[in-house]
Amino acid sequence: MSIFKKDEPVLYDLSEMTILLVEDSHYMQSLMILMLKAFGVGDIMACSNAQEAIDILKVTQARRKSRYVTNVDIVLTDWLMPAGPGEDLLKWIRSHKDDSIRFLPVVVVSAYTTEKVVSRARDLGANETLVKPVSGKGLASRICAVIDKARPFVSIDDYFGPDRRRQSLEFEGPDRRMIKQEQVKVTREKTVG
Amino acid sequence: MKKFKVEIIKLTNHLKRKLGMDPQDVAEGEIANEAIMEADRLIEELCSECHSSIGGFLKALGEKWSEMREIGEDTPQRRALSEEIFTLSHEIKDIGSMCGYNLIAHFAESLRDYIEETELNLEAQKVIIQAHYDAMNLAHKNDVKDDDGPVASELKQLVKVAIKKYK
Repeated sequence: MSIFKKDEPVLYDLSEMTILLVEDSHYMQSLMILMLKAFGVGDIMACSNAQEAIDILKVTQARRKSRYVTNVDIVLTDWLMPAGPGEDLLKWIRSHKDDSIRFLPVVVVSAYTTEKVVSRARDLGANETLVKPVSGKGLASRICAVIDKARPFVSIDDYFGPDRRRQSLEFEGPDRRMIKQEQVKVTREKTVG
Repeated sequence: MKKFKVEIIKLTNHLKRKLGMDPQDVAEGEIANEAIMEADRLIEELCSECHSSIGGFLKALGEKWSEMREIGEDTPQRRALSEEIFTLSHEIKDIGSMCGYNLIAHFAESLRDYIEETELNLEAQKVIIQAHYDAMNLAHKNDVKDDDGPVASELKQLVKVAIKKYK
């Protein structure tokens, strides 16, 4: 049972939350850390490229039963990082064998506003995209979206990630999807974390 | 054994659980407005120092460019310097666009993309990098922020000519 009344806005207390921030710009990294602290995020791990992020995730994963190391709850990653791009990190996360890593919510933060980058990030399994320059409202809305609008994961031949269809609208025309209902397996209540 | 083409995995929302809520609860939450305002204040604070920060990055970029220009041939050292210029341009682009220095951000992005995408041509690089560097310095010295207007157009034209001629 929720302790909150249904019609009251729930103010999130993020003090138990751990965010892994991957940002190669020193300035942007410092700024994002301060913004996340202002939001009350309890633990912020920061690094500056995909490989460092992978190392951190490996360590947190290996020590996840330790009381001294917290699990990462959300990954916020820059896209273009010369020393190891966000794309590499996203691919690594979504292809990981361990559920606690491959289902991790990933928010891509990108200065590239092109549709190509946004769709590439989406097709690799990003949960949300935040376009730079960031604002307090923009960052807060993406964090809340990851919490509130958690979508089921879809696994098909060439995709693993959150359902790319954000809405299930009624459609009157013929169903052109190639896959029949009996070829879809629904796994419920998979517990991660 | 039945072969499924698609697996849909419905996850328990452990983030909600971590926030003290029922994972099934569909209520949407928010981050306190005061916290968002504080985050925006931090951005403003960073931007108040933006002019001098960009100046520092431009100085570093100028130094790397001087070193790179002196190396007349394609060597690993020159390529390493090119990578450093890429990183500095990337940094200037991020800060510039964050703080409203759109013209400098425009040139920084163009320089970064030019270094990243164009095949190495030493003569062309000399002219094109120099044109970008000069344009950024002029915009910075004259505190030109907007990427439209007469000064911006003139500077953009200078860089455009350099790229067109040598690329």
